[in-house]
Amino acid sequence: MGMNWIAKLAAKAPVPIFIARGNDAPDETDKLHLNPNLSIVDTPRAASILLVAGTIPHALTAHLHRLHDQLPHPRATIFWHSSPTDQLSSALGVTHGDDLGSFLLQTRAALLTGERASEADVLPDEPANVWRGVGPHGQGGKGMMGGTPYGRPMAMTDDDMRDGLKLDAYTADFGPFLTMLPSGMILKITLQGDLFQKVAVVSPPYEDARQGREIRTLLKLLGLPALANRLLIENAHCEAGFKRLVTLSGVRRAIPPDLGRTHDGSDVRSRFEHMLNDPSNPQNLHLMGLGLGDLLEGREWQEAMLILNSFDNTSLRKICANTPTDATDDMGDSSEQASGGHEGMDHSSHGGH
Amino acid sequence: MTIVIAVLLIVGLSFLFTVGLRSGVAVDDGRQASNPQQRPVLGGSDPETHALQRFHIRYYTMTLLFVAFEMEMMFMYPWAVVFVEEGPKALAEMGMFLAILSVGILYGWKEGIFEWE
Repeated sequence: MGMNWIAKLAAKAPVPIFIARGNDAPDETDKLHLNPNLSIVDTPRAASILLVAGTIPHALTAHLHRLHDQLPHPRATIFWHSSPTDQLSSALGVTHGDDLGSFLLQTRAALLTGERASEADVLPDEPANVWRGVGPHGQGGKGMMGGTPYGRPMAMTDDDMRDGLKLDAYTADFGPFLTMLPSGMILKITLQGDLFQKVAVVSPPYEDARQGREIRTLLKLLGLPALANRLLIENAHCEAGFKRLVTLSGVRRAIPPDLGRTHDGSDVRSRFEHMLNDPSNPQNLHLMGLGLGDLLEGREWQEAMLILNSFDNTSLRKICANTPTDATDDMGDSSEQASGGHEGMDHSSHGGH
Repeated sequence: MTIVIAVLLIVGLSFLFTVGLRSGVAVDDGRQASNPQQRPVLGGSDPETHALQRFHIRYYTMTLLFVAFEMEMMFMYPWAVVFVEEGPKALAEMGMFLAILSVGILYGWKEGIFEWE
């Protein structure tokens, strides 16, 4: 099958890639941001290649499969520094020596010409939950909403923390492959609009998840992706030019004052400053039983994301250990994740003492 | 004549636009998004409740004020044009209209929307 003109046009654009990070994602993963032929996107819906970097823990493979199915056709999966899961057997593997950048380009070209067939869904093509009504056609049911459409309960009212108006609260698990969350982290968040009402940890971030990635995520959250990518260049944070750009951008003032204060008085601004000036030395924060709930509840989404990404990985794992875990295991596969999370948290709390 | 040309241009351009859109859609191979594809993106997790939920429209007080004053002005301009011809009849009609609209303003006043927070 030859390429039609629109496929040829598409082949000239940078390859949109979504990165799902595993436990030991190689350092070069972040350098992909500097490759002009690639565009690292923030949502699987905009990607044509799913890049799995590092080993995905067994507890998170179900999440990876759900993520895989959300990519639009034509799509391909590439496992880098890891082996494909059983369900994704048609995925490609890239070993250490290969040139990943050109391999990604070739794969996308093969997808567009039709040499390589688009990957099929891993999950069965049926609604996640089926409609369970009482009527002969499955319609109807008890309550204001007429039962539970598609097996999922409707959101119900809950107290608002801002002004006491009772409005619907939305509870869902977020992560582990959400770009604004530290990789591997799953949080069960109850939201009212964009306000964090309740936070529970389903799975803490990977132990060695981020090598200086927090500062780049912070810069991206503050709308400065170019500065974030500049940090990927060797010793960029020491350059006078970079420091001047940070000052000129006004990013320090963009962070609200007194955001995410810990007991020893550090806030997001001071932690940002530290990460910018001394990225190799993690700060020794005195957390003293500080949990995610203390930091995030009552915060709006953007503030909460800034707070989450202002901690280095060790501190964040300690904070997760201080946070109550999600007790309700109503999904079959989540019990496994929760137990995995407990193990990880025990480990980190030992490390903390 | 210019009007005819303008109408023809509009019709012609809309036709071209529609043809362009249709041919763009035809390039798509017609695959519908499957059920797993339609799930919301939560970074790999699955939602437990419906996303359909009731929000509080916090700007509703501003909307109330806007409707009250903007509607007033919108109808007062044409009214001002015919006021001289119509005379007291027009004045009475506008008085009734303003009375109804001012109920909204009074309600807002009662709710405290004029107090700066």
